[in-house]
Amino acid sequence: MSVFRLLASRILFSALTLLLVSILIFLILEALPGDVATRILGRDATAKALEVLRSQLHLDQPALVRYFQWLGDFVRGDLGVSIATGRPIGDVLGPRIVNTLLLSLFAFAIYLVLALVPAIIQATNRGKAVDNILSVITLVLLSLPDFLLATMLLFLFAVAVPILPALATISEASTWLETLRAMVLPAVTLAIMMAVYAIRVLRDSLIEVLRSDYVRLAELKGLRPRAVLFRHALPNAIVPALNVTALNLGFLIGGVVIVERVFSYPGFGTLLIDALQLRDIPLIKATVMISAAVYVAANLVADVLAVLLQPRLRTSR
Amino acid sequence: MTMITSNPARQLFRFNAGYWRATPGPFKVGAIILAAHALFAVIGTFWTPYGFAEMGAGLPLSGASWQHPMGLDQIGRDVFSRFMHGAHIVLLLAFAGTMLGMVAGTTLGLISGYVGGWFDEITQRIVEAMISIPFLALALVMIIAAGPTLAGEPVLIVFVVGLVYAPRITRIARAAAMEIATREYVAVAELRGEGTWSIVFREILPNAANVLLVEFSLRLSYAPILIGALGFLGFGIRPPTPEWGLMISENRNLLIASPVTVFGPGLGLASLVIGFNLFTDGLSRMLGQRPVMGA
Amino acid sequence: MKKLIDVRNLNIAYGAKSSWTNVVQDVSFEIAGGEAFGLVGESGCGKSTVAYRLLGYGTINSLVQTGEVLFDGTDLLKLDTNSLTKLRGNRIALVPQNPTTSLSPGMRVGSQIREMIAAHRALPDGMSMQSRIVELFALVGLPDVGHRYPHELSGGQQQRVAIAMAVACNPDLLVLDEPTTGLDVTTQRQIIQLLGDLRSRIGMAMLYVTHDLALLAQIADRVGVMYAGQLVEVAPCDQLLAAPAHPYSRGLITSIPTVDGTDRRAQGLRGVLRRDQMSTGCKFEPRCDFATAACRTTPQVLEPFGEMRSVACMKWREATVPQTPAVKPRPGARTAAKPGRLLSIADLNLSYGKPSIFDRFLGKTSPSIVRDIDLELRAGEVVALVGESGSGKSTIARAISGRLPPRAGLISLDGDLLASTLKSRSVEQLRQIQYIFQNPDASLNPRRRIRAILERPLAHFGIEMDEMALEGVLENVGLHAGYLDRFPEQLSGGERQRIAIARALLVNPKLLICDEILSALDVSVQARIVELLRSLKEKHAVAMLFISHDLAVVQQLADRVAVLYKGALMQLADTDTLLDAPLHPYTEMLLEAAPGLSKDHYVSRPPAMPASKAVHGIGCPLAGRCPRQVGTICAETRPPVQETGSGFVRCHVPLDRLLFRQVPIATNTGDSIHRAGTAPAFSGR
Ligand code: SF4
Ligand code: SF4
Repeated sequence: MSVFRLLASRILFSALTLLLVSILIFLILEALPGDVATRILGRDATAKALEVLRSQLHLDQPALVRYFQWLGDFVRGDLGVSIATGRPIGDVLGPRIVNTLLLSLFAFAIYLVLALVPAIIQATNRGKAVDNILSVITLVLLSLPDFLLATMLLFLFAVAVPILPALATISEASTWLETLRAMVLPAVTLAIMMAVYAIRVLRDSLIEVLRSDYVRLAELKGLRPRAVLFRHALPNAIVPALNVTALNLGFLIGGVVIVERVFSYPGFGTLLIDALQLRDIPLIKATVMISAAVYVAANLVADVLAVLLQPRLRTSR
Repeated sequence: MTMITSNPARQLFRFNAGYWRATPGPFKVGAIILAAHALFAVIGTFWTPYGFAEMGAGLPLSGASWQHPMGLDQIGRDVFSRFMHGAHIVLLLAFAGTMLGMVAGTTLGLISGYVGGWFDEITQRIVEAMISIPFLALALVMIIAAGPTLAGEPVLIVFVVGLVYAPRITRIARAAAMEIATREYVAVAELRGEGTWSIVFREILPNAANVLLVEFSLRLSYAPILIGALGFLGFGIRPPTPEWGLMISENRNLLIASPVTVFGPGLGLASLVIGFNLFTDGLSRMLGQRPVMGA
Repeated sequence: MKKLIDVRNLNIAYGAKSSWTNVVQDVSFEIAGGEAFGLVGESGCGKSTVAYRLLGYGTINSLVQTGEVLFDGTDLLKLDTNSLTKLRGNRIALVPQNPTTSLSPGMRVGSQIREMIAAHRALPDGMSMQSRIVELFALVGLPDVGHRYPHELSGGQQQRVAIAMAVACNPDLLVLDEPTTGLDVTTQRQIIQLLGDLRSRIGMAMLYVTHDLALLAQIADRVGVMYAGQLVEVAPCDQLLAAPAHPYSRGLITSIPTVDGTDRRAQGLRGVLRRDQMSTGCKFEPRCDFATAACRTTPQVLEPFGEMRSVACMKWREATVPQTPAVKPRPGARTAAKPGRLLSIADLNLSYGKPSIFDRFLGKTSPSIVRDIDLELRAGEVVALVGESGSGKSTIARAISGRLPPRAGLISLDGDLLASTLKSRSVEQLRQIQYIFQNPDASLNPRRRIRAILERPLAHFGIEMDEMALEGVLENVGLHAGYLDRFPEQLSGGERQRIAIARALLVNPKLLICDEILSALDVSVQARIVELLRSLKEKHAVAMLFISHDLAVVQQLADRVAVLYKGALMQLADTDTLLDAPLHPYTEMLLEAAPGLSKDHYVSRPPAMPASKAVHGIGCPLAGRCPRQVGTICAETRPPVQETGSGFVRCHVPLDRLLFRQVPIATNTGDSIHRAGTAPAFSGR
């Protein structure tokens, strides 16, 4: 199968998945039995308020019509209007997404170092003290709930040793340096959270690859250990870690929600929480759809990278 | 033959002692931590130093002391008592939720993986779609959708955990079933004309047990974090029930004044998850499986 | 000759600090420059462990307790990583066992060779890297495949690449670890031929590790036989094969099936190598027919005798039984009268699975894998289906058993048409056909005890059987009641295969499909399973479809042989007739490639018209590879079926011309050389 056909079918499947996601979200939020308006406003809402909400959400129309209208608008880029603020969702979301993107990129850079270095050290020193110590550290960090890790880092570096700002409230007025400083804690938290998973997977797969026949042959060809590691072992070992990174991205978006909340960072995550708290259904739908799209896209990229790294996959799938 | 069938009870006992010594270190430590948590939870269900909702147990914000090892919160409730009472809630919710997801996911996954065809195709697409919605977002959306009457109820939390887990477990179970279905003993059963259910439960399930056990353990370790996160964000169990995530969120205002009210419950939660994780590690090592992370 | 490598008193143990198990004990041997030394033994005897130490390599959990490996005077076991790195690949190179897993999957094979040459700066003067690589490819008989990835090459090609890589720096010693295992017979022989060729050209020494003594006979000068970590005999290859001294060597040699038309019944080895029941004396004692009480306590060491030989058995002189010249007539019991037909297959066409949705969308159909098969089995008859991997033999078996609905064609059992899917076959039909799989590790559910495994089919088919009868069945396959409460993992591979056979026979089938049931087992175990099948066939009068890639095994068991190539039947004949006069060019190739027990100086015959490949689905699949191809007609038209006395041949060459061969196939067994090329066996009928 050619790479292009593979890519085409992957993209097709991704689109299909997103379509199903949209159906799912719609079903959960709007098509469950019972009155949507009452569910949003609660039992004690006045009849008037309910009426207004119903017309705002076009609840008078059948569900199918509403779904296709929403989907059509969404695909065309019209995300609807937020109930709570009355502003177009696109305008609300835009800057938040930019902020979160910045944060994620920063976190990702830290993540790469944090994931690769310990995993390589561990795999090449398997069973030795370094390996065990790093294993324990990863395990403990893995077990720390994200909200707790964030709170601990905040306490350590903003309260106990106040070298970093506790609140990452940035605005247009803040300078580059301020923004960067504000982002350190949230970014480090996110990076640690992603890295602990990747370290374990990468370590295991690296160990497995180091035991493989081709690494042994490379060694017995008389190549220097460094060449064996970087040319033969790592490119093959990284594929499972890549998949985990992509898979965990869904989990990470959850992490963004929590981390942004702890540090009051004005990003996508806080917006989602606000929307949920205000039961702003159009906004919820939009944010969830976008996060699913990010997840699906990340997996698509990981798949393509895996194929590029492993030529074998090009024919056998 | 007599040797093998002799006194099963004694055998079981010997089995245990011998096995315990042979288990990997992480497993032992994990099991001990979990046992301690279980004991703590049982005691906490019936007795706590102060009432978990009792206000004015001492001076608010007075920090840690012998009477109040985890200090007092804003309205003067003893945090340790609350923590103790919350233990069984966290454990029960985590266990029930994971179990629900496990039963649903395993059944669907094994059948879908073995039967294949259109059934599998459709199941997989739906599973894929559910997994594409980030973990926490899916849980939160479901909680919102359940409406105000159900919000904060333990049943809802159990269902949400189960529903979030089910597609992920389905995927693991399906992969295991597909792999096992290529084994020749399955072909032998097919050639004999055995039915689908018989093959799934007689041939596939016992051989997928290791994978599923590790998966269960892995999911169980994450459940307290998920439940805690829901509580932390204010979408979990309704106050004043002392769910640990909720407590951490409530006491966050006291981070400067009395950090122990945050980190006490926090460390409790972390140690529980560490216990689960060590247990999973040891278990997977013993069963020769590798836990599939994330997803 | 000067010693190139000298292994002295090597002792290696596996395990961890708490418990070490000795895997190699007191192994000493030497290899002279340019010499080919073979190390042979069953799986688990420690031969590979020794071989890798010659590269200064050992796994983390293995430990060299004593001994030295002197290469050109330096002890490889004491060298540091840096000096080893300089030596490996450059002066001592490895040809790995499984090239498919040993070539780096993400790197083009050209780069893998380039990296080897670059690491040792071994580019001959005045030559560019590119031309050197092309030269190396040419050396191993490959076109320039440097830009390919390993997975784009066939198994044989991959092994050639691995060999090209190994000889890239002109090493002094080549270590070969089972380099042909898993390849087809004809490919195997070509690789052996290539190695012999390279050796004479480059003049390097070889250590050749294998379980296959027959193959070793084709290339080695001297052979060391290993058993349970010890060398039990070292001798020049021809002497060893002609007159083995150690009882183990003797058993090993008699276990080997050959196609030379001999029948060597019941002289093989009994039991299996079990490390847990080692005596302190001779390791072979539990399985030795000549053992006495003294053997159990007296450790045996290699004692030299004769000119260049040594043996580790204190009683080898007495233990020598005059070996009956192994040529015995084949069992005369081959069914003379023709019983009724049991299974008949007509015009069977098969293709793999269902096309994926994507393919269906594009309107693609998967190509036929098996075409126009006509075959009949009579009651109680053993018909062998022989072919290389990928020839479709197992696919046919799947269709007969109902696991793969055919695209076209009819299969009937006892005159009744069999439905194409399992679901629509009657319980009775399912019972009558039983299937035994290749891999006994996977065909028994590891989570059930043997009792449950055996009782399940009984319950399913509603057959009553009491405990006694169950035990009787176990005894039938050479096991005993004690096995009933064990789990499959507590059994050896051979024992598991016996259980699988017992399970199949338990329900009184009429037809047994044996799908490569021997290929996962050691030679000595194979020989005993063949013995078992033979006795079962006589006792139960069950018909068998015996699928195998190995003509040598087949000739011991089958009444008739069907030869399959790329999904088409090439020939069908009585076993004797086929071996005496193969007729079909492909059968001929197979027979020639099967190694005899002495050097036969096999040279594969070149294809007559390599450029004329078959038009898929129409021409003769052998076209392009066939040494006797008569023209483009072979590639473009379907070869006609030519009836012979006991079957047919499908070839464009007329029968009378097929009868006369270009080259005699074997030079070793006087018997077959006379038969070859003389009276056609079918002419009398
Ligand atoms: S020493 Fe004894 S047991 Fe060992 S091979 Fe010789 S005869 Fe057999
Ligand atoms: S038909 Fe032609 S190519 Fe085929 S076997 Fe006969 S001679 Fe060879």
